[in-house]
Amino acid sequence: MIEHIPVLLVVLPVLGAAIPLIVSLYSDRGGWSIAAVTMLAHATLAGLLVPEVWTGGVVSYAVGGFALPYGIELVVDGLSLAVVTLISIISLGVLVYARHAGPHENTFYSQFLLLVTGLTGMTVTGDVFNLYVFLEITGLAAYGLVASGRRVSAAVAALKYLIIGTVGASLYLLGVGYALATTGTLNMADMSTKLAAVGYDSTLVLTAFGLMVGGLTVKVALFPLHTWQPDAYANAPDSVSAFISALVSTVSAYALARLLFSVFTVDFLTAVPAARWALLVLASVSIVAGSALAVSQSNVQRMLAYSSVSQFGLVIAGFTIATPIAVLGATVHLIGHAVMKGGLFAASGIIERKTGATTVSGYAGMAGRTPFVAGAFALLALAMVGVPPAIGFVGKWYIVLGAVEAGLWPVVVVLLASTLLTLAYFARLVERLYFAEPTIHDEPAVADGGAEADESPASSDHRSDGGGAVSTGMIAVVVAAAVLAVVLTGAVPLLDQLLDQTLPPLLQ
Amino acid sequence: MSADEQPGLYVESTIIMTTVRAVAPFVLTFALFIMFHGADTPGGGFQGGVIAGSVVMMLAFAFGIEAARQWVDVRVVSALASGGVLVFAGVGLGAMALGGQFLQYNVYEPYYYEASKYGIELVELGIGGIVASVAIGLFFLLAAGFGHVTDGEGEP
Repeated sequence: MIEHIPVLLVVLPVLGAAIPLIVSLYSDRGGWSIAAVTMLAHATLAGLLVPEVWTGGVVSYAVGGFALPYGIELVVDGLSLAVVTLISIISLGVLVYARHAGPHENTFYSQFLLLVTGLTGMTVTGDVFNLYVFLEITGLAAYGLVASGRRVSAAVAALKYLIIGTVGASLYLLGVGYALATTGTLNMADMSTKLAAVGYDSTLVLTAFGLMVGGLTVKVALFPLHTWQPDAYANAPDSVSAFISALVSTVSAYALARLLFSVFTVDFLTAVPAARWALLVLASVSIVAGSALAVSQSNVQRMLAYSSVSQFGLVIAGFTIATPIAVLGATVHLIGHAVMKGGLFAASGIIERKTGATTVSGYAGMAGRTPFVAGAFALLALAMVGVPPAIGFVGKWYIVLGAVEAGLWPVVVVLLASTLLTLAYFARLVERLYFAEPTIHDEPAVADGGAEADESPASSDHRSDGGGAVSTGMIAVVVAAAVLAVVLTGAVPLLDQLLDQTLPPLLQ
Repeated sequence: MSADEQPGLYVESTIIMTTVRAVAPFVLTFALFIMFHGADTPGGGFQGGVIAGSVVMMLAFAFGIEAARQWVDVRVVSALASGGVLVFAGVGLGAMALGGQFLQYNVYEPYYYEASKYGIELVELGIGGIVASVAIGLFFLLAAGFGHVTDGEGEP
């Protein structure tokens, strides 16, 4: 049973996704319960896999029992295990949030589980073509989820996401084609030895690298290729923004790391400095440009989206530096960012429901009206900046250490500057939340006619979309994310050990 | 010219209706042919499914979209989509229950000597069902236009 877990992790959400369709013939509800049961089972399976990988090392699975370089292989090592566990936990959190926040349709939960399928598949697969298939499943489910927003702008954002995302996936597929033409194999482990045999300076290998990595950077949303992201995050329903901002780019960045370490290997990066520098420059530009764009936003959700562009620059820079400490830092920041950004989007959703505030100036003085959520928001924002006990600090610290070790001083400067820039946009927001005079508290009254001055917050909660009210579960999710952002720091040594056991084959 | 009024799009034509009536069974047969030959020749569930879905579109063009929508029960479409997934997963998980890997067809062979061959066919049929029903569903959704999306308090 235990050895079948990698494939069950993928099959389970597919099965779960098929059931709400049948249920919807008889009832409008029920999707949530099915998704919850499925994700609890998913989390259990992921949990069972932890001791297995911890003691036994890499778990590998040959789908269909075909001999390995030819059949599809699923591989779970320390890195993929960490990401799978993250997917399970965040999905459960988003389900708790969506219980009240909606969308409530059965089709939403079908798409939700399909997205989980794609993400899990991308994480556990050991086959470059299989990775493309799951990349597409992830993409299609995410486009659909973004479009499930009620506003017309959600449909436009989804269309933009669809077009750019498909171009990215196609570039990746083209790269896989070149790699297949060079090596004659699709299995990652097999391909990595064959690529070394062909020679890293071969034009075909370089083209394959450029196309595959280029395609994935579209999905990760690094700077010049990020244009789909702010619209998609800001226009999707709150539950969807929290979910895709936490996981979709994260898993794409994981896939990029998987390509760097398991397919092209660190030897390729040292043999072809141009490739390493190209990625480093892209990541650095992304860090600076993402932060600059985030500072200039007035809409909070768009600001958070541009912040992701910058943070993923940081992660990709860490993976590209590729010393063990930088890889640890990038992994920590990858996971930490998912928790923090998901929590921030969820918190911004609650603040919007409670107070109607969506802009930086609208957030002024809102801490008094939503004490728990504002507190969690501030904590998550500070964690993202990298204030010491939080996970955001550890990740950035190790990435910077790695860059110093490798003597990449320009990158060190960018990394340190990024912290300052992150502070620039989050400090502004936290300052507004706590130390500014409210600008918005009587706005609903003004909209009503302007006469009533003393309206209680509860009765002024008449947001048009989503029903306004906020459940305890939604607040609990945000608070849990804030707690996790601090507590996860304690898990870093465990992650270090886990990566140490499985990464050495990756890092020479 | 009459693009803005939905009902005006459909023009009843004896030629088209007769042609579709004659051609539809052949197209459906061809779709099944493609699905069944996915294992050893070019083709398979995806291609066959699209062809099968196109039969419904042909009927919609000949007899009108509303008539086709009423004729194709939504339950059939849902059942095909979900059933396809369940067939696929069932074949895969069944192999695991018999002690093999996921989708390892040859563990069925003690029970039926050509299990590997027909196991693949069954999976292809499942995929064909999913693809056909999704193609049909998308067609009807697109044909329904945007009226059902922007009602309520949708703001541009």
